[in-house]
Amino acid sequence: MGLGSSVEKLDAYYHRLAQNKAGKIKPDHVEKVLKKLHDKQDALKADIAATDKTSKKERLEAKLAVVQEQIKRGEWLRDKITGDATTS
Amino acid sequence: MIRKLIVPLALGLLVLGFWAEPDLQEIAAGVAIFLFGMMMLEDGFKLFSGGVLEKILSKATASLPRALGFGMLTTTLMQSSSLVTLVTISFLSAGLITLTAGVAIIFGANIGTTTGAWLVAGFGLKVDIAAYAMPMLAFAVVLVFQSSKYMRGLGFVLAGMGFLFLGIHYMKEGFDGFQEHFDLSRFAIPGLLGLIIYTLIGAAMTVVMQSSHATMVIIITALATGQITYENALALAIGSNIGTTITAMIGAITANYQGRRLALAHLIFNLITALVALVFIIPLVQAVNWISAGFAIADDDFALKLAVFHTIFNLLGVGLMLPVLNPLIRFLEHRIAEPVSDKATPLYLTDATDDFPEVAEEALRKELGHLMENAEALIATGLNLDLNDLKQAPDIAAVVKASRGPHSYDYSRAYEHEIKPLHAAIVDFASRMGLGSTYTPEAIMHHIHEIRDGAGRVVRAVKAVKHLRGNATRYTQTDQGATTVMYNAIRAEIARMLVEMDKIRKEDPDRRSPLWLDEERVQAKRAYKDAIHVTEALIRDGSLTAAEATSLINDSQYGYDVIKNMVEACKRLHSDSEEGVDEVERILSLDEDEAEEMAMTPRRGDD
Repeated sequence: MGLGSSVEKLDAYYHRLAQNKAGKIKPDHVEKVLKKLHDKQDALKADIAATDKTSKKERLEAKLAVVQEQIKRGEWLRDKITGDATTS
Repeated sequence: MIRKLIVPLALGLLVLGFWAEPDLQEIAAGVAIFLFGMMMLEDGFKLFSGGVLEKILSKATASLPRALGFGMLTTTLMQSSSLVTLVTISFLSAGLITLTAGVAIIFGANIGTTTGAWLVAGFGLKVDIAAYAMPMLAFAVVLVFQSSKYMRGLGFVLAGMGFLFLGIHYMKEGFDGFQEHFDLSRFAIPGLLGLIIYTLIGAAMTVVMQSSHATMVIIITALATGQITYENALALAIGSNIGTTITAMIGAITANYQGRRLALAHLIFNLITALVALVFIIPLVQAVNWISAGFAIADDDFALKLAVFHTIFNLLGVGLMLPVLNPLIRFLEHRIAEPVSDKATPLYLTDATDDFPEVAEEALRKELGHLMENAEALIATGLNLDLNDLKQAPDIAAVVKASRGPHSYDYSRAYEHEIKPLHAAIVDFASRMGLGSTYTPEAIMHHIHEIRDGAGRVVRAVKAVKHLRGNATRYTQTDQGATTVMYNAIRAEIARMLVEMDKIRKEDPDRRSPLWLDEERVQAKRAYKDAIHVTEALIRDGSLTAAEATSLINDSQYGYDVIKNMVEACKRLHSDSEEGVDEVERILSLDEDEAEEMAMTPRRGDD
């Protein structure tokens, strides 16, 4: 799965930022969200390891896939924001 | 009737007074300019709300000494204990600070307000204060016309200070002219009777002007020109402390029970302080003389001595009340009991929070949480499930399967009683924020719209369960084969969502993320798609009739709508309050198409 709507949402954010209608995203902000996602990823991995029931394991693995997708997007966003912070 | 007569009577008295004594015009104009300055000062500081003011206040109430110091400092800076009191009431009403912290701020504000007397007695009467006012007003006008709200706020604060100084100047000039024709000190009443009468006059003056600060300025200027005696001035100052409690009482009319407790604390504190000052007036006056001598204040400088008196009697009040703060809090909690939790009544939305956008946003968010808790319980009951059992269940599907008995529950009535009034209150409050005279920053307005949208989604989720409920009950009361399995799957999916919502609510706010809820959204989408596939297969092999299949497809959609709407509402409820972080969450969250795409991804277990 690609970056999906995140690219469009980032463009929309820059548009609102230019109009003074949004708070500026700093690299720390992305890091804060990424940390929460990594915590969730760790918790899900622990739950998967502790679960014997197959259907529950599948459900948890599906959830893990969603978190990992969000982490991937978060890392992309961090690179974009860090790049912008360096050039500006 | 009496209320209708007050304004014409006041205007008539002013006309009569102006006709009899033209110098009275200057005094009255001085008071008017002073009060106008205070209004501008309050408006200026309110422009700093919507961020700065609230952040400082929330940090400053972490401990008792800090809350006390905050009350002192802010009242000194703003020269308005009324504004500090109103901000504190709004914070308390929104559940952002504790009652103990609120009372400590009020205690501190009482000390802070004494700086006004020092400002006038030590500075206003000794220098040409109008000379400072003029440039301040000129600079202020330039700033007021700037587009930045903080610059405008600074402009209003500067203009407010300028008008305060100008007001003091005109009061002083007026009294100077007045004394050439009149000697009000003829009306001085010595002894206990004078003490009581002048205390009542001081209280009445403050009630009329809604400002103890303005009363103190009049007392000091009148005292400096010899129009009142020092003894009577002391009584007027004590009276002003009583009269100022009216501001908090008026502010608390629209506040919730916590705001009313604070107003009562303010009244008790000021009444006890005034009573102690009246009883111990002689030793207090001796203490003032002793302290004044220590600070080289001239024996006949009664204006400064009054400032000393005002300070020590307020310090005495705080000194007396601080040791009994905990019993006072217990008394307030007993006297004004927390109302029995009525699910239909908004808990956080009060008019008291209207003037402070960030507080209003937080109150609205908490009310959405209240609405969601009602909705979660109603949704569970509507599907014949016990929410508490679900929260403790190691195997949710098993609990759902075992929950067969229909709950005797009037769902429509519960919706009308527990959901609709709260939704209406949230919509009304959010609309008021958009239309109100208070400046609301764009980012806060955006959050308010999101919260209102979240409340609408909760209503849609509850209504979807209303549609789903009939068939869910019919097909799960007794085992009807595949149909029962399918309806239990829908119920179990919703039950899991309810349990996840409870978990995220209980999670430390610094650790949780609304993004976690995307997992539930994708899971719900996958379950919906699975339900459609299975239903089609069951029709093909003849296990379901066309009517049963139609119901199942429709109800699967309702089930998905419940989860989707509740998840979106929950995301709005728990979105990070830090600007920037909320933007990151918005960019990373999955939208409908992406949830669908992820739901199509084969599960690892399916490979």
